[in-house]
Amino acid sequence: MDTISRRKFLQLTGAATVGAGAAMLSISEIAEAAITRPLPLGTPIVVVVTLYGGNDGLNTVVPYTDSMYYSMRPDISYKPETVLQLSDGLGLNPAMREMKSLWDQKKLAIIRGVGYPYPDHSHFSSMAIWQTGSPISHISSGWLGRWLDTQSADPMLAISLGSVPPPLFAGVKRSGSALPLGGLVVPSGKLGMRCQTLGKSSINDSPLMAAAAISMGNLFSLSDNVTGVLKGPAPVAPDLPVINGGNAGGDSSLQQQLDLVAKLIVAGAPTKAWSVSLGGFDTHANEANAQSVLLGNVSYSVARFLNQLKGSGRASDVTVLIYSEFGRRVKANASQGTDHGTSGPVFVIGDRINGGMYGDQPSLNKLIDGDLAVTTDFRDIYSSILERDLKADPAQILNGWKGRVNSLYK
Amino acid sequence: MEPQRLELSRLYARFAFGPRPGEFSQSLKDGFSPSAKKLFSQPQGVALDSLTTPNFPDLGARPSQANAAASKAFTAALKAQSDELTLWWLDRMALTENPLLERMTWFWHGHWATSIDKVNFALPMFNQNQTLRANALGNFRTMAHAMFNDGALQIWLDGNDNIKGAPNENLSREFMELFTLGVNNYSEEDVKALARAFTGYQVVRSTGVVTFNSKRHDSDPIRLFGSNVPLNGDTATDLVVSRPENITFISQRLWYRFVSSSSQLDTKFGIEAAFANREISNAVNALLFNGALSVPQHTVVRQPVEWFIAVCRAFSLQPSKLTPKTMVMNYLQKMAQVPFLPPNVGGWPTDEAWLSSASAQFRIAFAAALAKQIDLNSMASVPSEKRIAYIKDLLGIYDFSTRTFTALTNAKDDLQQFFVLAVCSPEFIVSA
Repeated sequence: MDTISRRKFLQLTGAATVGAGAAMLSISEIAEAAITRPLPLGTPIVVVVTLYGGNDGLNTVVPYTDSMYYSMRPDISYKPETVLQLSDGLGLNPAMREMKSLWDQKKLAIIRGVGYPYPDHSHFSSMAIWQTGSPISHISSGWLGRWLDTQSADPMLAISLGSVPPPLFAGVKRSGSALPLGGLVVPSGKLGMRCQTLGKSSINDSPLMAAAAISMGNLFSLSDNVTGVLKGPAPVAPDLPVINGGNAGGDSSLQQQLDLVAKLIVAGAPTKAWSVSLGGFDTHANEANAQSVLLGNVSYSVARFLNQLKGSGRASDVTVLIYSEFGRRVKANASQGTDHGTSGPVFVIGDRINGGMYGDQPSLNKLIDGDLAVTTDFRDIYSSILERDLKADPAQILNGWKGRVNSLYK
Repeated sequence: MEPQRLELSRLYARFAFGPRPGEFSQSLKDGFSPSAKKLFSQPQGVALDSLTTPNFPDLGARPSQANAAASKAFTAALKAQSDELTLWWLDRMALTENPLLERMTWFWHGHWATSIDKVNFALPMFNQNQTLRANALGNFRTMAHAMFNDGALQIWLDGNDNIKGAPNENLSREFMELFTLGVNNYSEEDVKALARAFTGYQVVRSTGVVTFNSKRHDSDPIRLFGSNVPLNGDTATDLVVSRPENITFISQRLWYRFVSSSSQLDTKFGIEAAFANREISNAVNALLFNGALSVPQHTVVRQPVEWFIAVCRAFSLQPSKLTPKTMVMNYLQKMAQVPFLPPNVGGWPTDEAWLSSASAQFRIAFAAALAKQIDLNSMASVPSEKRIAYIKDLLGIYDFSTRTFTALTNAKDDLQQFFVLAVCSPEFIVSA
């Protein structure tokens, strides 16, 4: 990968707030916007779920009828009777029960063998390529950031959960905003009043000191009539138990992130793109248990999220994209794990999605240096989402890219 | 403008994790140069002698999952070691009388950013930390050799997977891009060549012991930077560090962290010239004594760990003694900076990245929790009309703005709040 862009990417991952001026939002600001200028019902909303670390695609969508799968991974393969069988000889990881249900409802599209040209095994380069959407010429802006560049300025348009905004939301002209997990808890009483004083500007402030004061002041830019909206619990998910004793671990960060996104979508936040993430997929060792916990978490959290939207009138507006920077090596390593690989399956979920299998399953007989072939270029998926959900011209955002995942959307 | 107060304030905030009680007032009397020179000659002090150096037993390989109890105990042991390691280092930062050495170790940790998240074991991380400390103000060439042979770094960047015939470029790329030369100062061919030179090193994960396996090493001649001879990790490291770009790159990294992330390294301050022989202490000398700290625009935001340690030093707190035991780790996590857990190989971000409303919220909450455990008696004994001047010197703050002065005046009789407001003020968060 070109090194200039790697440096820029680094700066982006590090201090994304510097260059393109990403704003840090408080829940109340979003709630206020939800009340004063709610997103019109029927406006498509994209939720991007990034799985950091390189998720093992072969143990996510398991080729359980392929004997090569078992011979190359004797210790970390899933037996046919344990996988959640889908079609085409493929089955989901046993931990992904809720995903199986979405599949049965024809809301889950699995795009197979997704990757980018000339795979690089570095997390860093790979994630940079996925987030910039530009594998050939190396640029520093993110694919959704460039979409933001085509929109009129609005800090509510794209929001990521967590305190550091991801590069995919960094545009050339403007960036998405960040919302810290758990929202902001504002000190009250005398301390609150006095902290508020610290948030005032002062004529002698250097730019950094002014920024420090503003960050303090923003904590208090609360408007009483909106705080109530989001103080309640997350919307209930009627089809799922509220407390899950099984695979999700109950209190996962992904679930918290998606709970908050659900609340804000239901409240009418004028936000068309959301970004959430889960780390820990770099399973070089003892993969089976670690990965199934994570996948169970993803499965439960996403299904719970979709359920929370039911009855809000927005359930069918939402498309969820789940991807990781690369899949893993086909052959297991000596420590019951897998090393960095290439392509992997991408999940696209929603009411407007035609559920089913897309793209070709990479053949285990035709590995490239021990790695799976890339059968679908990741930009095909981005193009489809940009076109169908965000009503944008994909070629303009993806440097002339023409590919699509055909018939992905209804 | 009080130039000496500004330079001294920056000296303590950026090179010393903040003053201990009385130090800043004394330095105002002594002047900048003597105070800065003293930083280079301080023994680490008795407080550190009383700290027990962790002794991490080799935990060995992870037990099989079949043995649930053993597996659980193993995970708990990893976590306990990791917490012990982090608190041990935070204690050192807070208690040392030679803060420049710890501050430089902290800088190099962000430079050779290695995360226990992947390394897992505390022992290799501890060994790396000792290596960084031993070389923190030494010779960069020696440091680069030691770091190439460092087990934690090798694990972090997949050195183990770098084998003749199937080189893994992770380490070789980052070695040049992030650690020694900087972007644009080498080619893709150089990355491949260096990866070949780096083949054959193996690491024991639980201890970080690095061994050289000649069977896995590519012993053919390698074309790299004008030479075409067989290379190994050490000879290749020499070639890389000898590149003139190494001088500029390291000077820039020091400038970026200690002087300004927004203005470019300026040759008139002589940092590159001082670093020509790769002596780190000469470069740090140039940062301190050639006037870079007197330029008003050169402001820097304290990173969360630096902020916390400065509070500890001013109020004589020992991180591992704070209660509950989990408090420090929890708040640092919320503020997104825990030692040994950098977000990626590029290290932590700077400046504006730490100034979100989320950080402000967690900083206030952390300060409020600390306020309950601080001995406020010395502050109470200061007449209330002198308290603002007192805490300004205690924390080594250049100056308070009217807004902060007002807030502090309003809280003069509530010492806990007075403390919270002072350490959460923009004037303390930002090194003016």
